[in-house]
Amino acid sequence: MSAALPILSVLFAVLIAALPWGLPADATFVLPLVVVMMVFCWRVIPGAILPPAVAMLLGVLLDVTSGGPLGFWALLALVAGSVGHFSRGLSSRWDWSPLGLVWTGLATALACSGWLLASLYYLRWVDWWPIAFGAVVSAVLFPVIWRGLLKLYGDAYPRDDFTRRGVA
Amino acid sequence: MPRLNPVFRKKSSSWRLPVELLTFALYFLCGVLLILSRIGHGTVADARDELAELTSPLFEAASAPVIEARHAIQRVRTYAGGLAELDRLKHENERLSEWEWRAKLLERKVEQLRKLLGAVDEPALHFTTGNVIADARGPFVRSALVNLGREQGLRAGYAVINGDGLVGRTIDAGASVTRVLLLNDLNSRIPVLVGPAGVRGIVSGDNSGDLSLEFIPDGASLYLGDEVYTSGSDGVLPRGLRVGSVSGRAGSFKVRPHADLSALDTVSVLFFNTPTLASAGPAPASNTCELPTVEAPSIAPAAGKVSAAEPIPSSAVKKIGDVTGPAAPVTRVRQ
Repeated sequence: MSAALPILSVLFAVLIAALPWGLPADATFVLPLVVVMMVFCWRVIPGAILPPAVAMLLGVLLDVTSGGPLGFWALLALVAGSVGHFSRGLSSRWDWSPLGLVWTGLATALACSGWLLASLYYLRWVDWWPIAFGAVVSAVLFPVIWRGLLKLYGDAYPRDDFTRRGVA
Repeated sequence: MPRLNPVFRKKSSSWRLPVELLTFALYFLCGVLLILSRIGHGTVADARDELAELTSPLFEAASAPVIEARHAIQRVRTYAGGLAELDRLKHENERLSEWEWRAKLLERKVEQLRKLLGAVDEPALHFTTGNVIADARGPFVRSALVNLGREQGLRAGYAVINGDGLVGRTIDAGASVTRVLLLNDLNSRIPVLVGPAGVRGIVSGDNSGDLSLEFIPDGASLYLGDEVYTSGSDGVLPRGLRVGSVSGRAGSFKVRPHADLSALDTVSVLFFNTPTLASAGPAPASNTCELPTVEAPSIAPAAGKVSAAEPIPSSAVKKIGDVTGPAAPVTRVRQ
């Protein structure tokens, strides 16, 4: 069960992201980007198991529930997972700032590429504001999500084991 | 830069090539999926429908408490501003009483004129009501999943309304779940009439809160606050459904939808079988497929006529009358 924690938590986030929360049109990008951020975080945490293929499948599920083209969120989740994997050296249990910077940069890149991809898909310039707003909110939410996932992971594993797995 | 944990460095080096190959294959697969979605490949669409159908019970169960919570927040807000709301409602009631009298007068006049002209009575508009169980989030679409499907007689192309006005139209109908393309989606184009003069135009979505008003004839006079309603000239949507009111500024007019598209819960689907829809495919087998063709909902509210699939409460029936027909004139500000 503990090994499946990353997958289950992202799956839960996908479900939450699709529910009719009544968010304004400007905030429609926030929840899916939180899902992508969770993929990034789980790939950063050493020892947490979230293979790229599963990250992609979860992205496809997000595509299905959001009604968008299949592959869009899957692609963003894959990119976030890859960047997260290569950022493992920066992981620290209490100091989230280096990873926060990485995520801010990544969220900016994902927002730009997502906007370009959406514009290319529709052959017209789509409204950039909701995407930019989502990226900014996700950067603000990063410490909360990071700490939350670490807490979840710490509860699932004994502290010794947690430390041995590389999170100081 | 902190030193990497040696255990992980060792592990990753032995798996580097297969993992990188796999990751590259996954990126490629994502690209293929995107292209297939763009060209509208049938397999992708079918797979999506199947998956949406499979997950719909889960979303239905999970969305119930969310909708309840939204209602609770709304109630708290209403109580918080109770006195101001009471004053507003009193004024509105006075205004509406005045309009009721005028409406009855006009109704009588219309009835007399129809008799003089020997006009044929138009059939009533049938509908069924369901709940939104999931929202679409992302740069591509503004859509919603509704817990109604082919079992209730739905199919692609039907108009979807709520108590405030037009919400969108159905685009995919599964057995028990249907996807609704909202008015503000990039793919949404609705032919409309604007204002008392009935200026023709197209309302299109751009994924933002307001809608764009395009293809207005040169020299047409538009005013802020003019009512916008469907023209029915596309042969898909019935004529006279309230869409919104004109906002923005001269030269780049927008339409503010009456319906709050970001906070939908209960919606009604109108069974409007035009020749366009009838030729699109056979009617789904259900106990509502024999509904008569409907015309001019502005004159024929669905009072007393409900879908055979689901009994509609009288409050829902009333909503049809509310959202159809050219709306009452509003105070206008000349640009």
